[in-house]
Amino acid sequence: MANNPQMDVQVGRLLRANTRACVAGCQPAQRFPAFGALVSIDLDENTSAYGLVADIHIDDDGLVRQLVTTPNISEAVIQDNRVNRNVPVELSILFVGHRSAGVISHRLPPRPPLSLDRVRACGEGDICAFSGAGRLGYLRFILDAQDFPAADLLAAHLLQAGRAQRDHGDSQWFAQAVDKVITQLRSDYDRLMPILEALADVQQELGS
Amino acid sequence: MIELMEQNQAIGIVTSGGLKENLQVRLNGSPQQVQEGSFIVIDSQDWKFYGIATDLQLQSIDLRYALEPSRTRLPETLANLLDCQTLYTNLVVLPSLMLERGPEPESPDYTAWRSTIDSGGKEEPRPMPVKSIPAHHASVFLAGAGDVAEIFGKPTEEGNFVIGHTREQDHPVCVNLDKLIQRSSGIFGATGSGKSFLTRMLLAGLIDHNRASVLVYDMHNEYGLDDTASDTGENVRGLRSGFGASKVQVVGLGGSATIRGSAPDFNLVLGYSDILPEDVELLTRELNLKETTATVLDALVQSLGKDKWFKSFKAMKRGSVIESEDGKKTPAPDSVAFWANQNGVNVMAAEGLHDKLRRLFNKAYIVESPPADSIQALVEALKKGKHIVLSFGDYESDLDYLLVSNLLTRRIRAEWEQMTNQFRGKNGSEPRQLVIVVEEAHKLLNREMAAQTTFSTIAREMRKYYVTLLVIDQRPSQIYDEVMSQLGTRVCGWLGDEDDIHAVLSGLAGREALRGMLSRLQAKEEVLLLGWGVPMPILVRSRRYDEQFWQDIKTSKKAGFDQAQAIKNLYGD
Repeated sequence: MANNPQMDVQVGRLLRANTRACVAGCQPAQRFPAFGALVSIDLDENTSAYGLVADIHIDDDGLVRQLVTTPNISEAVIQDNRVNRNVPVELSILFVGHRSAGVISHRLPPRPPLSLDRVRACGEGDICAFSGAGRLGYLRFILDAQDFPAADLLAAHLLQAGRAQRDHGDSQWFAQAVDKVITQLRSDYDRLMPILEALADVQQELGS
Repeated sequence: MIELMEQNQAIGIVTSGGLKENLQVRLNGSPQQVQEGSFIVIDSQDWKFYGIATDLQLQSIDLRYALEPSRTRLPETLANLLDCQTLYTNLVVLPSLMLERGPEPESPDYTAWRSTIDSGGKEEPRPMPVKSIPAHHASVFLAGAGDVAEIFGKPTEEGNFVIGHTREQDHPVCVNLDKLIQRSSGIFGATGSGKSFLTRMLLAGLIDHNRASVLVYDMHNEYGLDDTASDTGENVRGLRSGFGASKVQVVGLGGSATIRGSAPDFNLVLGYSDILPEDVELLTRELNLKETTATVLDALVQSLGKDKWFKSFKAMKRGSVIESEDGKKTPAPDSVAFWANQNGVNVMAAEGLHDKLRRLFNKAYIVESPPADSIQALVEALKKGKHIVLSFGDYESDLDYLLVSNLLTRRIRAEWEQMTNQFRGKNGSEPRQLVIVVEEAHKLLNREMAAQTTFSTIAREMRKYYVTLLVIDQRPSQIYDEVMSQLGTRVCGWLGDEDDIHAVLSGLAGREALRGMLSRLQAKEEVLLLGWGVPMPILVRSRRYDEQFWQDIKTSKKAGFDQAQAIKNLYGD
């Protein structure tokens, strides 16, 4: 496996993918990664794709449509529907880079993963390695994302990565990331200012 | 020398611009790190560019970043990050000189480049007027001591006179005195801008350098003897006090002249025969002379002789008549009217001129037989290398100033022309360079007078005859354009009037960029050096004219100046 297995936890398997993004399915009972979390998918023995959880779908099925209008549903029925449902929770994953022969790159993966490939949640070490590599170029994928809430996705990711970096001794990482965001968006005042306001909350949470 | 150039911290990078519209530099930090007039160095590949800061502009990537302070919406850390990238200062640099510095000294290319120069395959690089521009993102620095010395010369070199220091970093800026005296120069500034102190200082430098004799027309008795500063009340040392009577002589106008109660070294008294018709014609405006003056003067010279017309005309009586037996009145033989009738001159014109010349007839410094030829004595002193301060004493009117200065200068011009011609004909020694210092220059060099006075001729042509002017004035706009254009070096203090600023900058490259700078100079502190005599325009904090200045003059090279120690002080080990 391309990633460190000790740090990763499988969270689901791939449903569909294209060059820029993919959708993974996971069991509702399983603890799936949070919005903005970094995940990885092994493409082969030497290559893994990195992505951020950019959207989480919980679709209905026939049973839940009937149950939802039923009064006084018992807790057992609710739990049964959640644990044993046939329709998986779908995680939309935005690709932000890949690791090839141990080298992290902030470019799109060379090819998308295949269906039923395993999706793993990255541990703090992997988050630090990925976010600390290069010059934060992967932030452009987040800022350019058209189908996802870019500002909130960025804030969620920077909170997760900022915590990991801080806990691993780099308290300046968050400021560097904000600086990069400003560089990318400084000519677009209308987009940048709301994003920075969101990041102000992140900064407060990080206590930096 | 290039080796002396130490590397300062870069203050910004070149972002745009050109030779015509100046260079735009984006500053790294606060706008206060650089001021208008700062000497700027730009390092671009194998070249160094030298220029002067002419403007600072606050800029933003989007106007909204500037209009709304980011701190109102963001915490300080994020606001700082945002401001750093979106708000900046643009520095406008007027490029003046460029110098090939070659590849990096440690690189192999440098060795090859250097050996090409040493073998004579290429000229030793020296600063030259800009003919190209630095590349995008070239690093920009405030000039270091080495840069200033590279362009303006080292203070320890013979002929270099420290006139002031760069404003931010206090590096000494020199004026080359040999170059200064090669052409006429000017010191300008509004009243109270420190012109007199600057002039004293520059004259002290010239006298100390001793390559030229200096003749100062000291209209207000400021330069020869000690004075008291009008603002501080402190004693201001005069040139004779500073150098002693063996070098500088104070000449008083009039037989019994005293300068603030002190006797001058000798007195200047004019004889009647010294006054020529052209001296009177120069006073047309001052004496309100009529158009007929030239005709009457010509008739006076023709009938009475060039040497005697003044004496004879003065002796004539105005309105003197004799009455015949039949009661008819006719002009007396000693009257102006009689002379006019005899010589076919309009009586009213002659009498009118006589009336107006009465102001000259009554001058005590014009006598029939002076005890000595004091004009010649003055000229001889200058020829021998002495320096003269001609104090006008109590004769401070424009009439006295115009008459005496022009008369004297006419004699000097003739003398120096003769000496030069003899020298060129190999019949004499080389004339000593002479600098004539003219205060209130616009009175002698205005549009109306310039065509007639000797001064404009000196400004235009006398460089070849070893005579140049140092004009001092507060209204340069009143000086004739043709004269202004001949001034090589211009040292300018604060000027408020737009026309004066325009006049000082006439004929100079980049004058639009320098215009605002002149009106924002700090009075008595800062001067702008311009023109042919300085390698590039530069704003300097002028040196103080105080006891320390005189101490420095006394301990200059000729008095055992420790050059090695001075270099060490300036540039370290």
